Amino acid sequence: MTDTPVILGIETSCDETAVAVVDGYRVLSNVLASQVDAHARFGGVVPEVAARAHVEAIRALTHRALAEAGIHPMDLDAVAATRGPGLAGALMVGFSYGKALAWALGKPFLGIDHMEGHLFAPRLDDPDYAPPAVVLLASGGHSQIIHLKQWGDYEVMGSTIDDAAGEAFDKLARFLGLGYPGGPAIDKESEGGDPTAVRFPRALADRPFDFSFSGLKTSVVTYVRKHHRDGTLPPIPDLAASIQEAIVDALVAKTFNAVEEAGVGAVAGGGGVLANRRLRVRMAEEAASRGVALHLPSPVMCTDNGAMVAAAAVYRFGLGERTDPASDIDSSLRLGR
Amino acid sequence: MRIVAIESATPAASVSLAEDLRVIASARRVDRQGHVSFLIPALDFLFDQAGWAPTDVDLVAVDVGPGLFGGIRAGLSTAQALAGAVGARLAPVGSVDAVALRAATAHRKIWAVVDARRGEFAVAPYQPVPGGVVREGAVELVSAEAFRGILASDRTESLVVGDWEALPEAVFRGMHGIRTGRPRYPSSEAVAELGYARAVKDDLPHPDEVRPRYLREPDVRIKWSDFRREEPWQ
Ligand SMILES: [Zn+2]
Repeated sequence: MTDTPVILGIETSCDETAVAVVDGYRVLSNVLASQVDAHARFGGVVPEVAARAHVEAIRALTHRALAEAGIHPMDLDAVAATRGPGLAGALMVGFSYGKALAWALGKPFLGIDHMEGHLFAPRLDDPDYAPPAVVLLASGGHSQIIHLKQWGDYEVMGSTIDDAAGEAFDKLARFLGLGYPGGPAIDKESEGGDPTAVRFPRALADRPFDFSFSGLKTSVVTYVRKHHRDGTLPPIPDLAASIQEAIVDALVAKTFNAVEEAGVGAVAGGGGVLANRRLRVRMAEEAASRGVALHLPSPVMCTDNGAMVAAAAVYRFGLGERTDPASDIDSSLRLGR
Repeated sequence: MRIVAIESATPAASVSLAEDLRVIASARRVDRQGHVSFLIPALDFLFDQAGWAPTDVDLVAVDVGPGLFGGIRAGLSTAQALAGAVGARLAPVGSVDAVALRAATAHRKIWAVVDARRGEFAVAPYQPVPGGVVREGAVELVSAEAFRGILASDRTESLVVGDWEALPEAVFRGMHGIRTGRPRYPSSEAVAELGYARAVKDDLPHPDEVRPRYLREPDVRIKWSDFRREEPWQ
């Protein structure tokens, strides 16, 4: 058919059941069932709820992804699924399904590192994205700065020493009563707000590539309690915009510290937090002012999806890699190890 | 009818190939963990031994629980993918029914038990009949203490099969007319037989309606309004 591999990618590491079909780095279909509503009441992902939802959705989503791509299962060159990191009960569903599908079709199977998937997401439909680059990966579960030296060679330059960026958004949104997930809630609430209304701390001046968000959390809580008592609390949009600015500032500053240190001409991003509109604007401004090329996937490709898993699999498949059918998930998989 | 049976709802995982009621080959492993790594290599080995190809399969029978949540989901995901890939039908089978089917009994009433963890047990009563057993009530999730109460008030000569070793010893203390027996775990051979029985009666749900049988409800219900493709940040 084509000289690029057609691969079905399955992602079930957290709260999105996602399946996609790619032809090389071209996305043929990308479908997902989000469980956000199911978890909203708890202000976070409930592992058992996530696992249950995956098993209910995986079959229909897979069939739908194939139908939308116009691909017959027999035309697939391989099947890929996230192997880790993530919630064990959730990973198990997509990994078992993908492995069995590949075996039944007589096709190769590839178990993929979720984080490598995020690193490959900017490559989808963007042939200009190539190593070397610095990639900011930020979501509810992870916040890392990766030096992408070449495909398959990743150095973790920095990471969070406490909360992930998405977690910080979630906790602060919950504290302010803005709902879940926190990132989109604060993004929305910030509209028209003044990001300079309150100056919250930007942490870890002494560690150029690492993040810390617990100090910000404490200072927001202290600030809000005090000013609420005094009746001097700024309007919620100002507060939300100021919090968002503090998180965004930290992410942008550390990322471009890393760009400088690594001496690369390209910067990219992945993970749900990279869907934040303010962060995207600030990344673009900073990249432009430094003359660095920016490769930010569309918001839907920043959040967890099947296409990024398939994209990493395109690369691994090309190297001739295959995952042993006797392999298991690895919920604590670590990039670059 | 060529049947693949998958059992991974308890610590004993097994897979079988059967033609109607005749079991061709089986593989089994007892280990609470590792069902994910066991199932496909085991199937691959059996297909190789039997000279089957996946496309030969007419029916995939799978234990949907109650039992180990992770094991049930690994088994059902595997079964769904296999059935979907080759156009085979899918037959869900209950773990307690599969245990009771293999109970070696004379004429006693049977109580089949599956350890559902967290101090709860899935139990159901059965009556032996020629060629099998008939369930006499719903599968229920009960505490060990409640199960003792059920046995005490039942006052029938009974055989308890399944994972009764997981029950505290006190459950059977001072109890008369109760015996314990095998099997301890459901087997894929029993799953194949029960799946076959459902298939010949045309008693099979649509594959999308085949769900794990947890008995224990989660704290929230998932509402699948639709499959979202839109930008989740708007
Ligand atoms: Zn992710």
